[in-house]
Amino acid sequence: MSCRVLVCCGSGGVGKTTVSAALALRLAEAGRRVAVLTIDPARRLADSLGLGLVGNEPVRVNIKGSGSLWAIMLDARRTFDELVERHAPDPESARRVLDNRYYQFAASRLGGSHEYMAMERLLELQRSGLYDVVVLDTPPTRHALDFLKAPQRMRGLMDQSVLRWLVAPAKEGGWRALELGTDAAGRVLRRLLGGSTIGEIADFFEAFRGLGEGMGRRSEEVQALLRGPRCRFLLVTSPAPTARSEALFFLSFLQEQGLPFGGFLVNRVAPLPEPVDNQPGGFATPEVEQLLRQVVREARTLGQAQRRAIDGLRAARPEAPCHLIPEEPGDVHDLDGLRRVARSLPEI
Amino acid sequence: MSLKGLRLVQVTGKGGVGKSTVCMAMGLAAAREGLRTLIVETSGSQNVPGFWSKESRGYELVWLGQKLACLSVTPEAAIEDYVVQQIHFRRLFQAVFRNRVIGPFIDAVPGLHDAVQLGKVFDLLREKDGTKPRWDLVILDAPATGHGLTMLGSARAMMELTRAGPLFDGVAEVDAVVGDPHVSGLVLVGLAEELPVNETLQLYEKLGETRGLVRLCVLNLCVTDPMMPQTGGSTPAPALSLVGEGAQQHAWPTWALQATTLLQARRLRSQSQELAKERLSSSIPARILELPDLRFKRGELNLEALEELSQHFKRLFQ
Repeated sequence: MSCRVLVCCGSGGVGKTTVSAALALRLAEAGRRVAVLTIDPARRLADSLGLGLVGNEPVRVNIKGSGSLWAIMLDARRTFDELVERHAPDPESARRVLDNRYYQFAASRLGGSHEYMAMERLLELQRSGLYDVVVLDTPPTRHALDFLKAPQRMRGLMDQSVLRWLVAPAKEGGWRALELGTDAAGRVLRRLLGGSTIGEIADFFEAFRGLGEGMGRRSEEVQALLRGPRCRFLLVTSPAPTARSEALFFLSFLQEQGLPFGGFLVNRVAPLPEPVDNQPGGFATPEVEQLLRQVVREARTLGQAQRRAIDGLRAARPEAPCHLIPEEPGDVHDLDGLRRVARSLPEI
Repeated sequence: MSLKGLRLVQVTGKGGVGKSTVCMAMGLAAAREGLRTLIVETSGSQNVPGFWSKESRGYELVWLGQKLACLSVTPEAAIEDYVVQQIHFRRLFQAVFRNRVIGPFIDAVPGLHDAVQLGKVFDLLREKDGTKPRWDLVILDAPATGHGLTMLGSARAMMELTRAGPLFDGVAEVDAVVGDPHVSGLVLVGLAEELPVNETLQLYEKLGETRGLVRLCVLNLCVTDPMMPQTGGSTPAPALSLVGEGAQQHAWPTWALQATTLLQARRLRSQSQELAKERLSSSIPARILELPDLRFKRGELNLEALEELSQHFKRLFQ
């Protein structure tokens, strides 16, 4: 497949959705067929992209130029349902999972499920042949790394070998032993969760067993895509000094995992004006001059602090591409705003 | 609305709005009023000790001052504590939980991570130093979940799943304290910008009956219009209105011309913040506290900046 994938990571509040959308818009207005998959779009941005409140299906955005831009808002629950239906050996097996009380409760609440479903959808879009580039806006998480680590938890849950153990009959010391509390692990789990909860989860795992193999394979395909030559991970980060260590940690993790890094995108960078000089100014009053000096002094205090932090990031990782996106005076909530942001984005 | 008399303050809000900053500023204020105060970070966050130039010690206490300490809780450590309480033998726990089946299984119970961390906070509230509680005040840095719920909301969701049993009972006991408005208060942290205010309002919506716990909304990084007199009044000082006069500007040096652009941006930001704040106050009945953007004065957030911010919380503990 010649479709490229750009994954925008970053902790909550850095402006990932805006940056992802701006990146996608720029590529589309340069002539590509682009899909942008968002997870948690702010309402105004969703409106400006033409997304309603629901929309697991691609919606075309009205843009300039010869390319196309399609926007998708991930519906994790629906994606999970479709995944179950696709991998079930027959409709009854699918039904057993979809009707299971634990599944209904837990599917979209499971730690890692949004992230896992985003990867699922990414794979599907990339393989469709409909796009030249897919941009993924990852879910907002406490730490930028959570997005990358979370799918492993889901994977652990649906690991085929784990499931085999869980549904093995009692004489092999498997699941029933756990439920009956005849061994130490079972006793502890029983005290922790209570028998009926364990039973419900067991029923779910039992019903889910048939899907396990297909999903395991799929998971490997996602991993291959993410490590492949057509994928790049971008970290959207803040210019605040406190954001630096997380950015460096993130890059180390990517490298450990063999995931390809496309660069740091430092968002909402404050301007750094020229310092005041002592030329006579021709100001109407001393108050006017004082006000202007104060404004410059304050802007320089902030701008310099941010640039020190950015220099520190560059010095720690001189080989890593690092691009600055200036802050916008207001919120970015329409296509023109996205175009302004896009002007600062590198060729990726 | 005051925070006096509360034993637990839960500081919540979406990502990146400055919850840790608020926890630390609040902690400094409470400690200065004589309260033995503990700041608890969750999900492995360890942001606090660095501001006092100390190393985080994870699950162990770090003393920041005579009456102020902090602690970082992870779900794994909290689960271990909880299970060991139930089964009494730590060695048994280690044998069982090294079992790789149990790990994913624990992950399979949504809300469990939040429930056990809240359980740890509950234990901390009950700790005694002789006959008195060890801590007068626990400040919990509790970010909203990916689903827009508070930690308490997430733990309650877990109760819906389990419906009965030891974990259910445990969470119910914790809920009785953490959800009691005489003991526990919620502080919503946000920014005075349109989209973040939307997020704060969404979070408030999802609180449901927990709304009764909300004591305060804090807006971070608030700017004032540099042209407005700091003492109040709604029009710029007459002399300053000349700044807008184009006729003067042909004689101005370059830096001054750039300054007018910056000034316009500051004014715009200040005005849109006013609008955002009005939207918030018309939907949420709680008191709104605006914290100034000190980056213009100090460049970055450091301990001195936190001390300055803590002055804004002083009255809430008196």
